[in-house]
Amino acid sequence: MAETSEIAISMLIVGSALSMLLMGLLISYYGSSKTRNVGILFLALGIALMYYVTSMAYDSVVFMNSILAFVGGMLGGIIGIVIFLVAIIKS
Amino acid sequence: MDMSTEIGDGVIMDYFVSMLLIGIGVALLATGLFTSYFGAGKSQKIGLGLLVTGILAIIITYILTFEAGTGVTTQFDDGVFMDALVSGISALAGMIIGMFVILFVLMKVDTVDDLEDLDLEDLEDLDLDEELKKLEKELNAESTDSSGEEE
Repeated sequence: MAETSEIAISMLIVGSALSMLLMGLLISYYGSSKTRNVGILFLALGIALMYYVTSMAYDSVVFMNSILAFVGGMLGGIIGIVIFLVAIIKS
Repeated sequence: MDMSTEIGDGVIMDYFVSMLLIGIGVALLATGLFTSYFGAGKSQKIGLGLLVTGILAIIITYILTFEAGTGVTTQFDDGVFMDALVSGISALAGMIIGMFVILFVLMKVDTVDDLEDLDLEDLEDLDLDEELKKLEKELNAESTDSSGEEE
């Protein structure tokens, strides 16, 4: 069993890196002038955070399992929302 | 970094399936709460159904994970389940923090920098009263034309 704090901190970084990567991509593509620069900055920050979290001294198997759990949770949430939409639309 | 997982060691079941069930449960619970509160008539009933289904999904996951005294054999390791739950909640919290940081920076940065390119002298030279009179004349001309056509 891995240290809970290790899992929490690494996944916190992964979550913020993911949102910065995705939002950075969107902002740098659709933004103009200053906004685009901010988007590129966020993109770089997201890549740096992702590199840091994958390269820091931490049990890789536990990390990958945590990612698996996160993907499972997200997928579950999406399935739940799809069930809700189907129920509402079909009624 | 070694990107391997312990696939053969019940990892999919303990990490993925348990969190999948919890994700479905929480999503149904949240949407059911909203729909049953704000919905009316048929929608409210559907919301109640979703709410009950969400609570059931969470209870089933709990029973399959912890010894709840129901006699059902547990399917998920409780320690691993807690790790998976912590990782899921942490990643979600991280995503929310990241979004807030982005919104904060975007609001703080002066993104309206195209105002400098505007030629404000053109605006200063405009005689608003004259423009207004022109518009009124145009509107009057259009209304007289349309009334003439009707006759």
